[in-house]
Amino acid sequence: MMSHHGVSPEFQGIMDEITSIGLDWHSETLVENSKRNKPFIAKSIKDIASPQQKKAESAIIISAGPSLYKNNILARIKDSGYEGSIVAIDGSYVRCLKAGLIPDYVLTLDPHPTRIVRWFGDPDFESNLEGDDYFSRQDLDIAFRNNSNEENRRNIELVNRHGKDQKLVICSSAPMNVVERTEAVGFDAYWWAPLVDNPGSPGSLTRAMVNETKLPAMNTGGTVGTAAWVFALTALKIPRIAVVGMDLGYYKADTGYQLTQTYGPLKDKVGEDNLKDVFPEFTYPDTDEVFYTDPTYYWYRCNILDLLAASKSTLYNCTGGGTLFGDGVVCVGIDEFCAGF
Amino acid sequence: MSELMKGNFEVKRKLDVPDVSDDSADFKNEFKKKALESIGGSMVFVEREMLFWESTESADGE
Repeated sequence: MMSHHGVSPEFQGIMDEITSIGLDWHSETLVENSKRNKPFIAKSIKDIASPQQKKAESAIIISAGPSLYKNNILARIKDSGYEGSIVAIDGSYVRCLKAGLIPDYVLTLDPHPTRIVRWFGDPDFESNLEGDDYFSRQDLDIAFRNNSNEENRRNIELVNRHGKDQKLVICSSAPMNVVERTEAVGFDAYWWAPLVDNPGSPGSLTRAMVNETKLPAMNTGGTVGTAAWVFALTALKIPRIAVVGMDLGYYKADTGYQLTQTYGPLKDKVGEDNLKDVFPEFTYPDTDEVFYTDPTYYWYRCNILDLLAASKSTLYNCTGGGTLFGDGVVCVGIDEFCAGF
Repeated sequence: MSELMKGNFEVKRKLDVPDVSDDSADFKNEFKKKALESIGGSMVFVEREMLFWESTESADGE
């Protein structure tokens, strides 16, 4: 049951489309990539040594939302001398390194054939860039927006310098260029399969991937940040987990609807006057700042809230903004969390 | 049906046939395209309760 309240039937209908869009698009790629990656799979997430002492007590998941730099989160974590575990997602890894924050784990999930490798420094930068403006539009590290060859070269060097023996938590459906790039760098890779459906269902993709790879499966909630939380909770068994950079929405004050990717079709669907119905607003409880979401981000939000309810655990949201609050979520400042409130 | 009924001759005057394409399908396609562009491809999720699963077969190494 999705945790969605107070949205219009129109919005609900659009959101319901998203699951089938993802499955249609990925169903073959997920299994094919998992088969193809088998020769590279030496260890699974079950082989990761249990974290010890303070690393076992708490963790921070570093997602890649714009709040990460708006709220100066990485510097605040570093300055606090936080001693718990740090799990970066692929999209925040280079930014962590630039901030002098070395994560304990880096998690990658997305099977996209040309984009994801950029987060690790892309050896085929120019050919993968052709015809794709994804990085021009992403809002984490504005250095990526320039699509600069020089920036990519610096990232290659940075990842080459720090990636050796860095624990990489890599999904069996990862694209070949990510597998090759991270292997060339010398990452210490621990594999897992994505739990995308009920393994007991006929024709389950999850079961197909697990049968191929013999890996344990973790739920992703549809996005890499949620997968990182599931990893910390289920594989590392860490009881106190915080997330940062998990905005799942847009800052109303400086992001117009027209800057969102699905603005065009949504405007055509509901009309200019009814756009608020498909961009529902949320006021972040600690700051009273207003955010809005779109069907994709709202879908992610519902997914993580549902998984949180199923896990019966508490999630500490130290993002400092965004739309992630509700049952099971405690919003708290990152400084407070790092100080072990 | 229109193929069966059209006969075996050419009409002199061409008719303007209104576009009867499904607006809803158009929206879905456009939304899909834009959604995929924006999220970079990480959205696959239909299981809402199970967080972790391990096959007994894989645990046994079969």
